[in-house]
Amino acid sequence: MKQTVFATGTITHAIKGRDILRRHGFKANMERMKYGMKDYGCGYGIVATGNPAVIERLLREQDVKILKIIPLG
Amino acid sequence: MIYLDNAATSGVKPLAVRQAVQRALENYSVNPGRSGYHSAIKASEAIYATRVAVAEFFGAARPEHVIFTAGCTQSVNMVLKGVLQPGDHLLISDMEHNAVARPAFWLRDYAGVSVDLFDAAANDMEAELARKIKPNTKLIFCLHASNVTGLVLPIETIARVAHRYGILFGVDAAQSAGVLPISMKKTGIDYLCVAAHKGLLAPMGTGLLIAEGPIKPSLLQGGTGTLSVELAQPNTLPEGLESGTVNLPGIMGLSAGLRFVKQKGSDTLLLHERALCQRLKNGLQSLPGVRVYGGLLDGAPVLSFTEENCPSEETAAFLAKKGIAVRAGLHCAPLAHRKIGTADTGTVRLSPGCFTTLPQINTVVSVMQARRTTHRSK
Repeated sequence: MKQTVFATGTITHAIKGRDILRRHGFKANMERMKYGMKDYGCGYGIVATGNPAVIERLLREQDVKILKIIPLG
Repeated sequence: MIYLDNAATSGVKPLAVRQAVQRALENYSVNPGRSGYHSAIKASEAIYATRVAVAEFFGAARPEHVIFTAGCTQSVNMVLKGVLQPGDHLLISDMEHNAVARPAFWLRDYAGVSVDLFDAAANDMEAELARKIKPNTKLIFCLHASNVTGLVLPIETIARVAHRYGILFGVDAAQSAGVLPISMKKTGIDYLCVAAHKGLLAPMGTGLLIAEGPIKPSLLQGGTGTLSVELAQPNTLPEGLESGTVNLPGIMGLSAGLRFVKQKGSDTLLLHERALCQRLKNGLQSLPGVRVYGGLLDGAPVLSFTEENCPSEETAAFLAKKGIAVRAGLHCAPLAHRKIGTADTGTVRLSPGCFTTLPQINTVVSVMQARRTTHRSK
């Protein structure tokens, strides 16, 4: 399964997004952003497993702020 | 001590609140939202859970709209200075606490915002507001309940009128949050400002701003732990309005206070506090030379009184000697005192809380009865 990082910047949106995804059955964790320091500085993101387009739609529907989507692997 | 100054801050914090603060200091003396180590993440999770609980309690749309502040005054300043621009018109009530009146008039004097007052006790609030609204009215902001008399403003009506004219509506819920039922969604409140250390029984230094409407971070800029590469302040809620390290022990205390209020039932607490106010009112208004203000059946649990030919501070000093803690003077609400005609003398304010008992109230009434009897016989 595909793993994707959804960079939110804020920890509030990262926790909120992680909880939404878990409620919908996705494997999701929140962690510090390891990439994009040059673009955004410090912050948090959600590492989620599953179809990135479906996950992105779910997050955006609930107003979770997404700064960048980074595919892993 | 008999503590009747709950309108200033809840004098007794539940054991659960004190324990939550202690646990936070012992386990979470870390900076939440800045790092990835275990305790920092745990602390951030606890803060987020509090946002969720607060949003649910006040009928807010989203947990990220909940902003932790140092108190209601800060929250009000954030709204007024984050919403209004030069050329805008602001309507506030004629009962406002200085927490609202002073930033409002500061904006008038220094930022080109015009300010008008509306009658908080208008019989026909719709007509009163319609008379005062101007084409450039951007915001109507008012208290929910008076900190002097307990008068409750019809915020549902005010919200309806505001939105009919496309105006934003903010509420100072310092005296009502946790005491009177509030649903932002049902009422149509765009900005709710809360003194969490009062009705929600949290430690001092805790407040809330719940912002459903647009707001700029005009009051405070600084580190948010987000978008740190940018020199411009982020606009994203809540962090954009929470620059600096948040008051984690206070927020954990707030979380416990909220749970306490929910477990006891705010309806039950309100009935108890109103019953105590009625006892005070009935006991005091029968005394010669005593005049009572407020103590309304449908009001917030606050009332004031004056003694004929006696400064309010003298009455308060007498009660303090008897072990009764009250607040005298103008209560930082000169507009309210002008309205009820007590601006020259102030009043003695009595505000029971959820831990106040009927025997304590009976003692206060007895003490005042004895004092008035002595006064009469002199």
